[in-house]
Amino acid sequence: MFRLLEESGFSRVRSAVVPRFRFRKAATQDSAEAYGVKAVMMTALKPAAA
Amino acid sequence: MTGVAETQAPLEAVLKDEILRMYQEVADRPESTFHFYHGREAAELFGYSAEWLDRAPAGAVASFAGVGNPHERSQLRPGETVLDLGSGAGLDAIIASWQVSPGGRVIGVDLNPAMCAKAQAHVAAAGMRMECREGVMEDIPAPSASVDVVISNGVINLSFRKRRVIQEMFRVLRPGGRISITDIVSAKQLSQSIVNDPKLWAS
Repeated sequence: MFRLLEESGFSRVRSAVVPRFRFRKAATQDSAEAYGVKAVMMTALKPAAA
Repeated sequence: MTGVAETQAPLEAVLKDEILRMYQEVADRPESTFHFYHGREAAELFGYSAEWLDRAPAGAVASFAGVGNPHERSQLRPGETVLDLGSGAGLDAIIASWQVSPGGRVIGVDLNPAMCAKAQAHVAAAGMRMECREGVMEDIPAPSASVDVVISNGVINLSFRKRRVIQEMFRVLRPGGRISITDIVSAKQLSQSIVNDPKLWAS
């Protein structure tokens, strides 16, 4: 998503992992970890000149 | 030859129905257990302040189904226009409306008209106002360059057309506008069995 934001014209794209995110069910959490699934917080700007 | 868009169209329609069903269930039966955390437990997990959660209508808190806290970095200011993409039961819209008052406004967008009505009722119960528009995130029902900030919480990952969603967010923002979103990402390509399972995709 980071790349999509930049490619769409956003600038100052920033991201950070949501540290406490997890699934309630252990099986779902295990699958999520296997695929590198995580929650992220992202901010970005639409340039003033856009 | 059949294009990707053509092969995904039927699946996308099924997915839309599953998203409507799942999040309607969270709103209608918040006492149920889901495989994701929801309600006050989830909001507290993501750092929503107790003051916000005590002040917001109980129904909006109980049906919260986000994956993080988009307010942590949104830096909303009085007078700003905020669009909450996938406004759900309205908790994030309520918090945003407190932050942009006086003079600002919050526009909700949700796939589900019943959810829009519920969110508007929750916002009204919080003493604020929000216009909720039924619509899809791939075609945001807002004019170009009409909002200062787009917030979203756990919604964009539900779309098969994420590039289109991001282009739409860019379109509706005024120059100099910003986004503050939280969402689910995957480091690896999901298996086709997951992609083809609307229940898993919708979650």
